[in-house]
Amino acid sequence: MIKSRSRLALALYALMAVLCIPFLFPTWWMITSSFKPVSEIFAFPPTLLPRQFVTDAYGRVFELQPFARQYFNSLYIAVAVTTGTLAFSSLAGYAFARIRFPGANLLFMLVLTGLLIPSEVTIVPLFQMFLDVGAVNTHWPLILVPMLGAPSALQTFIMRQFFSGLPHELEDAARIDGLGRFAIYHRIALPLAKPALAAVGIFTFLYSWNLYLEPIVFLSSPDKFTLPQALTQFVDAYGGPMWNIQLAAASLTAIPVLVVFVIAQKQFIEGLAYTGLKG
Amino acid sequence: MAQDHPLPSISPDVRRSWWTPARRDHFIGYLFILPQITGLVVFVLVPLALMAWYSLNEWNVLAGTFSFVGLGNYEKLATDPALPGVLWASACFSVGLVLFNLSLALLLAVLLNQKLAGTVVFRTIFFSPVVVSLVAWAIVWRFLLQQDGGINAVLRMLSIDGPNWLRGPNTAMVSVIVVQVVKNVGLNMVLFLAALQNVPQELYEAARVDGASRWTQFFRITVPLISPTVLLTSIITVAGSLQVFAQIAVLTEGGPGTSTTVLVYYLYQQAFQFHFFGYGASLAMLLLLIVGALTYLQWSLRKAWVYDND
Amino acid sequence: MASVSIASVNKSFGSHPVIKDVSVEIADGEFVILVGPSGCGKSTLLRIIAGLETINSGTLAIGDRRVNDVEPKDRDIAMVFQNYALYPHMTVAANMAFSLVQRGVAKAEVERHVHEAAAILEIEPLLSRYPKQLSGGQRQRVAMGRAIVRNPKVFLFDEPLSNLDAKLRVQMRGEIKALHHRLATTMIYVTHDQIEAMTMADRIVVLRDGKVEQIGSPLDLYDHPVNLFVAGFLGSNGMAFFRGNYRDGQFVSSDGLKLPFATRGDLEGRDVVCGVRPDDFILTDDGVDATVDVLEPTGSETQMLARWGSQKFTSLFRGRLTAPPGSSVRLGIAPGRAHVFDAESGLRLDGQPPCHA
Repeated sequence: MIKSRSRLALALYALMAVLCIPFLFPTWWMITSSFKPVSEIFAFPPTLLPRQFVTDAYGRVFELQPFARQYFNSLYIAVAVTTGTLAFSSLAGYAFARIRFPGANLLFMLVLTGLLIPSEVTIVPLFQMFLDVGAVNTHWPLILVPMLGAPSALQTFIMRQFFSGLPHELEDAARIDGLGRFAIYHRIALPLAKPALAAVGIFTFLYSWNLYLEPIVFLSSPDKFTLPQALTQFVDAYGGPMWNIQLAAASLTAIPVLVVFVIAQKQFIEGLAYTGLKG
Repeated sequence: MAQDHPLPSISPDVRRSWWTPARRDHFIGYLFILPQITGLVVFVLVPLALMAWYSLNEWNVLAGTFSFVGLGNYEKLATDPALPGVLWASACFSVGLVLFNLSLALLLAVLLNQKLAGTVVFRTIFFSPVVVSLVAWAIVWRFLLQQDGGINAVLRMLSIDGPNWLRGPNTAMVSVIVVQVVKNVGLNMVLFLAALQNVPQELYEAARVDGASRWTQFFRITVPLISPTVLLTSIITVAGSLQVFAQIAVLTEGGPGTSTTVLVYYLYQQAFQFHFFGYGASLAMLLLLIVGALTYLQWSLRKAWVYDND
Repeated sequence: MASVSIASVNKSFGSHPVIKDVSVEIADGEFVILVGPSGCGKSTLLRIIAGLETINSGTLAIGDRRVNDVEPKDRDIAMVFQNYALYPHMTVAANMAFSLVQRGVAKAEVERHVHEAAAILEIEPLLSRYPKQLSGGQRQRVAMGRAIVRNPKVFLFDEPLSNLDAKLRVQMRGEIKALHHRLATTMIYVTHDQIEAMTMADRIVVLRDGKVEQIGSPLDLYDHPVNLFVAGFLGSNGMAFFRGNYRDGQFVSSDGLKLPFATRGDLEGRDVVCGVRPDDFILTDDGVDATVDVLEPTGSETQMLARWGSQKFTSLFRGRLTAPPGSSVRLGIAPGRAHVFDAESGLRLDGQPPCHA
């Protein structure tokens, strides 16, 4: 019995280890290849670790494009979108969950509509609207649309689900203790919503960080580019990718987020799971 | 109005009776939702209305022409020789992605739910691609899937001659699906894992007492009890599969031919590469219709296959 | 401290009335319990007093002040909730201090009040803990401490003991009563548990379907219930009811049995329901034969389930009895202890005016 159990465990470990390969190998390959000279990148047999360790590609990343600037663009846009979404979604989510104002159901239908409309669908009219107000080739569309448009509807929905589950008694007690609506939201509901806020924050950050269609539609000058867009621009005169440079840039993009994730993976994963189940 | 009779009715009392605490609370409620609702009106409703209007016009941005053509764009849609291929590619991609994603997510979740030491490490690994930048992920895979890339190099060491993955119509579609599944399966896996852990343990004990095998337990207890989560994740995954763009743009640019040109990519090409805004808008209407129909379909089918204890 | 006056109060949720023309006068320092089955409106009435619900008509006054439109925080009340409603993200001390800090009371003053209240409830060692680190009974104390700290004119309790186990409930019952004695503040307490109402209240308000059925001291209500509902609701073992009518001054059950109730010439021919509390049955040779179904000895007393004809009832006797199931015992009713109600209206028919003390 015990023997068969441990044999089963061994089989499960083996299965999981094999399954890990496609999840781990690309990242490994990306990082190691970025340190290989061009000649070694396509060498056969392939080398798991760079035989010759070079960092030229990293220097070239910053020479060919204003990469630091692009990095900053992506970062500040993602932070702005995340901050704004946390504020506006939690306010709206709270109101929809807790304040019984006339028309709440109708207005909530609007949120559900936003939830179901892929933002790609409206990219043509959005482009025209931002063109009309002179905001094409600025970061405004990349900040405002994710923060307040269709992508934010999901976040408002998640927050509403969370606040609906908070005990009413807490708010009654707070009213007797002398808090008004905003104070109840700010001092009672928000502190208790930390897990939901964390999940919403992570989702929103990753969403903004990954955006690709919107930047290539809205942005045209390299110093305005965001990272995903910049990554695809490391090409030679014939449009072929400069692999070692592209991989170095990709590593620079991916590694910081991966490191944060590995450190905080528990909060990350459990926060998402928690909110997913509630929502 | 006669001024000689001062109106006594507008006393503070009367005004207070209009501005009641309840009304004040409603007002605060409207203030709370104001930013979000304004955003949804400006960035969802107005664009939707504009899009419907554009789709009725012939609009070439380069040529600077804008003229009303009624249902012209929709007629073009119906006769566009490329469109059946695009819809077929979209359908293949979505079906393949959803099936592969959900079954792999469930397999991984079940594996992680065995009480084995070190599953946290595996969980972290399976989830990690979710946080890797989408374009970075696609670039690495494009690198790996080249004719002389990492995957074929490994195959060559096993004396297998690998195909040029992204240049063959079938292998390109399979590759795009696999790349996307590996990237995002962690999300569904985590949701499934949480659902699995929410199944009360005593149900399994009761089933064991009743003599149910492990398979029976899985299909008669686990699957019904996590079916609400399966519905949620399948709706999210189906909707997400129709929005895929960056992966296609980086990996195959819709090729070879139009074998991986999914609807959103085609829309992007028509509107922003060929500058047919009006036709792009009618393609967007088509996409909207498909997303709406699929969501409605899944939602109305939920009664049939989702266990619901309400 | 203050009296509370509820005069002709009405409240509806949408078109559904939940409080129907309720009037209750509560004296300064009184301990009043609102009791009734679930859905009777007792919690809503308490929330109306707290100001958490607005009223559609009527007047609510605390002390001499009309408070219909006054915010909860300005009513000078404190409330203890069923699930305690402690702020999970604050320590016990911060929970207790919260309302005072909110009112801008000086820090030293706040601390003094918190420590005083903690001393009364013996929760000083818990002050730096968080609610989730406390047991149910401890949370209950903290919730009471939070109310005491405010030094309110009126304490409101919303089923505060319903989440505690039976033993703790008995203990907390005693403590709340002792607290009332010590603070001598007006307390209004909601429960569905008639034992809590009987043991703790100065006066009980029995509610049903949003209406007041009867108001009075516990023993008043026990001895002189104004109708069948109150009679059946109060008392730990349900009152035994017998349907029948009066013929020649004698009560005859619907089975045609003459039962040993006192003669009532004034009720001749009327359909009535006669009620007897289980402990008002007596063993007497003048009684009527009853068939024993089950005997349940508990040591100090014996409960007997028996039948007169087809009508089953429970009776309770001090000491021990032996009577095998199926055997007969002669039972009578203690003089003056039977209750007679009109079968149709359910109202008491003993000539006395109903108690509205």
